[in-house]
Parts: sequence; structure tokens; C-alpha cells
Amino acid sequence: MAQTIIDAHNVSKTFNPKTVPVHAVQNVHVHIEEGEFVALVGPSGSGKSTLLNMMGGLDEPTAGSVIIDGVEITELSENKLIDFRLHNIGFVFQSFNLIPVLTAKENVGFVLQLQHMPKAEREKRVLTLLEEVGLEDKINSKPGELSGGQQQRVAVARALASKPKIILADEPTANLDSKSAANLLDIMAKLNKEEKITFLFSTHDQRVIKKARRVITLVDGKVASDVQQIPS
Amino acid sequence: MLFQIAWRNIWRNKARSLVVISSIIIGVWAGIFILSFSWGMYKNNIDESVYIQLSHIQIHHPTFKEENDSKYTITNTDEKMKQFQADNRIASVSSRVISPGMITSPTTASGVKIYGINPSSEVTQIRLNEYVSQGAYFDSGKENEMLIGEKLAKKLKVKLKSKVVLTFTNTKSEIISAAFRIGGIYRSKNISLDEVNVYVQQKHLQELLELKPSESNEIAILVKDEKELDTIKNFSVGVVPNGKIEDWKELSPELEMIIESFNLYTYIISGIILLALTFGIINTMLMSVLERIRELGMLMAIGLNKRKIFIMIMLETFYITLIGTPIGLLTGWLTVTILGRTGINLSMFSEGLASYGFSSMIYPALDHDKYVIIVGMCIITGILSAIYPAYKALQLNPSEAIRKI
Repeated sequence: MAQTIIDAHNVSKTFNPKTVPVHAVQNVHVHIEEGEFVALVGPSGSGKSTLLNMMGGLDEPTAGSVIIDGVEITELSENKLIDFRLHNIGFVFQSFNLIPVLTAKENVGFVLQLQHMPKAEREKRVLTLLEEVGLEDKINSKPGELSGGQQQRVAVARALASKPKIILADEPTANLDSKSAANLLDIMAKLNKEEKITFLFSTHDQRVIKKARRVITLVDGKVASDVQQIPS
Repeated sequence: MLFQIAWRNIWRNKARSLVVISSIIIGVWAGIFILSFSWGMYKNNIDESVYIQLSHIQIHHPTFKEENDSKYTITNTDEKMKQFQADNRIASVSSRVISPGMITSPTTASGVKIYGINPSSEVTQIRLNEYVSQGAYFDSGKENEMLIGEKLAKKLKVKLKSKVVLTFTNTKSEIISAAFRIGGIYRSKNISLDEVNVYVQQKHLQELLELKPSESNEIAILVKDEKELDTIKNFSVGVVPNGKIEDWKELSPELEMIIESFNLYTYIISGIILLALTFGIINTMLMSVLERIRELGMLMAIGLNKRKIFIMIMLETFYITLIGTPIGLLTGWLTVTILGRTGINLSMFSEGLASYGFSSMIYPALDHDKYVIIVGMCIITGILSAIYPAYKALQLNPSEAIRKI
């Protein structure tokens, strides 16, 4: 039986609680098991990015708790939380968010450097990751010299660098053309299958939703449906 | 890696970084130039005072300066002079007879300080011969020859070869009047002194004052190396045991004050320039932080802790300061070195400058310790300027920062 990797328990998030309260997420219970490939869907303003951020420890819930791999991250201090993210969670953002002054190789290696991995080992892993995402010929290119799809693949390689158990991706295909999006999804699906990495996407993109094995739909900050499906 | 990212970050917006670096260069250069120019003026003033007026050390009878009476003398001057001349740390030594008095021309009169000098020994001492603008420096061999300042000559309405009368009190408290002929008119770099000091042959003044040939009121010493000043003062105690021995700082405390106030001035000027720079750097770095909010949020999200974010921003500012400061320092040093040799000619303001005792040729100069102070203050400025932008970066919440457009 698969182990629960993310347990969001009765999680709520209210913005501007003292002025004009906005209840972005309300009493949400979500359990995600190791190796799942989950799409978090819903209309704009439904709270999917907020929920994703709370599950990744980027946002603090107003109420409830988030437990990742047995660690209640809502109880961690700021620095411990940053360290926890560094070792356990990979992030892929909508607008790639690479470090513009570093090459593809350096961007991927950055996380490993923060983990103090020895140089030789680090370089080997970076090359392996960039090969996995099909960018072995772009290792010395800076983000500005890469296409959107290539940048997002570097971001995926960076997210994978620390061998995280979970990758959280916020609208990862939103800025990509169809071909790049399909290519990226294939890479992610392969990693999910072969390395048992848990993927959680917030998305509107039907291409992503079709690839997911589980689709959680949020409406007005609440879970409207949570269904398993056979990916196409 | 942080060092590398910080370094590359400053070149993301080359124009902006270059503007800040240029402002640091100009600021440091301006600071050095203003200080060196001021110090050049003051140093010149001090040197003029020491070399033309005071000498490094003066020895008097203990009561002479209080009573201002030429009867208080140093005895056996010749013998003492020989002892000083034999010491190779001493550049030159001369004895003087001094009396306050009144100079009278056919039209007017004025109070003066009469110096009885040995013209040959003063050539290397106060170098008065170099400042003679009309006539000659005691070349007639006549005992009643006199040298007066240009300003005093103008005041008395006398010319070269004019006859004037000096009136003073001799050692027996009798009033003496003696006629002198103006053999030379000098113009030193300190007009106020030119109006007061008149120079006559020592031997003649000794006779008029009824002093013995071996008596004098002042022994003035110029040392070769000013670092030896204290040891030579100690040596002088042995030569003139009952004399009052004073160095130039004791003789003219205002000169010492000039040096002290200049040190304060260094900090004030540097402080003002660096304060202006601080705001420039803060503004630029703040812009740099604010336009990278999303990137900083991403860095926090993927695991860069706030301490490292803080260090990264600090490093960026530090690098900018570190590039600008040495260039500013080098250009400043070059300017001071070149102008220190050629000088800055302010002859159009010579009258005004001379009335305050300043030369119209300014040779900028700055001690090495002042350069060190400027560098130190620049580095502190860089660090202080970085704190606020770095602090602003720490206030970011990663999830909000990532959402920023």
C-alpha cells in the first residue's frame, strides 16, 4: 500500500483577515499518496495556486495543518521550512523563474550547491538531469538564449536536482506552445513512472488534466470533486 | 555560487551599475582633490611659517617673550652656535637680536619688530634673500642698511634708498633713535608679517642696544628631519640649560590647530560626499531589488535562506563599491601627484590669499593615512548602503513575490 506523502488537513487560507477578508481556501482535506500524478483544477480564483503554495510551504495556512512525508511543515520555523523545501520539494513555476545570470547547467546545479554536494558529483548529476530533459546541447546557454519550452525543461531539471519526493508545478504549461507542453508532460510522466516522484499540478490546461491519474477540482476554495482517471 | 551570482547581477543592467560606479569614482576623486587642495594650502602656510618665520625650534631667555625686552639674552651665543652647527641632524642655525620699536618716515610712523640678523646665516634659515623684490640683500656692507617689507614701505611711503628712523629702548631702558637707509624691499608670502618685520645688521643693533657681541635674544634652529625634533630639543637643553626651548607647534599653537582642524575637516568633507553617495547607492540597489522580487521569491522557494539572500544583496553593493573606490582612489592619487608637482596657479587671487598668509601657488598634497581613511569610509558606506535594500529583500514572502508581475 502506498504511503501518504501530502496530508493537507482542514486547511484554510484567508487573505486580508482584518480588512476585506478573502477566503481563498476553506476547510480543505487532501491526501496525496507517494507516486501520484495529480492535477489540481478549477476556475481562476478557485484557490488552486494558494492550496499548492500551502502544500509546498510557501504560504502559511490561516487554519489547519500540512504534513509532508510525516513532517508537519506548518509547525516549522522559517529557516527550517526553507531547508525542508530544499531537500524535499521541487518547484516548477508558470513563468519558468530561472536565474537569468546563470547558465542551464548552473541553474540546475544551484540547488545542489545549496545542499553542499561535491563538485564532481554535482556536475555528473546536472549533466544526467539535462540529458533526461533533452537539453544536453544547451548546458552553457543562459535562460535568455533558450525558448520557453527549453527554459521550462531546465526548471524541471532544477526541480529534480535534489531528488525530491514531490514536485509542485503551478501552471507549468501555461506559457508553452503545444509541442513544448507535450514534450514537458512526457518527461514528467516518465519521471513519475520510473522514479516514483509525486507530481502535483495546478492547471487549466486540458493536456495536463488528460495526463493526470487523479483530478481534484476546486471551486470557491473548496474541493468540488476528487476523481481517479485513466490518463490518455 | 553566491559570489558569482552577485557579481553577474551587477552587470545585468550595465548602464545603471556604471552610473553608480562612476558616481563613486567621482565622489572619491572629489573628496581626495578637495582634501589635498586644502591640505596643500594649509601645508604651504605651515611651511612658510616654519621656514620663513619660526624655524623648527627657537631658544630664548625664559623672560624674553613675556617682557618683550631685548635685555633678556642668551649669553655666549657663538659657542652655543658652534655646538649646534656641529650636530649633523641640524640643517641650519642662526642667532637674532630682537627689539620692538617704531619706524618713522618723513610722512608717517609704524610699530615694528626689529630683527638684528646675521645676513649670511639667514640665507639658509629664513631665506629672506629669495624674497627681495627691490634693491639687494645686505650687499652694501654699510652697517645702517635695512630691509623692509613691501607693504610697510607702501604704508610709510618710502622707496629704496629712503632714509627712515628706528626708535626703540636699549638694555639700559634709554630711548634710542637711529637712522637707517632702505637697502632692500622684500615681499614674502605672508603680507601681514611684511608689514611688521624689519631686518638690520645684527652687529649694529647689538651696539645700539648695548648688548655684548656674544649676546642674542633668539637662537633659531632648522632640523633636517622633523622626526628628530624631540631629540634635538633634548639636545638643546644640554647646550642652553637655562633657555626656554620651544618647537614650532608650541611657538604657534594656531598651526597645530590647523592640523587638528584639518583632520576633522577630512571626516566632515568625506562624510558629506559619502552621505550623498549613500543615497545614490541605496536608490539604485533598491530599484535592483524591487525589479527582481519574483526572482528573489523563487530563490527563497527553491531553498535559498534569507541569510544568503541578505549576503547576496550586500555583496552586489560591496562589489560596486569595490570597483568604484580603487578607480576613484587611483584617479585622485594621480591628480594629486601631478598637481602636486606642477602646482595650481591662483595668482589672480594672490592679494587676497597673501593677506591670509597663503601662497598663490597651491601644491595639493595628502598624507597616506588620509587615503586610508577615505577607503575605509567608502567601504563602510558601501556596507551601510546595502543594508536597507537587503533588508527590503528579507521582507518578501516567497509566494507573494513569485506572483509579482
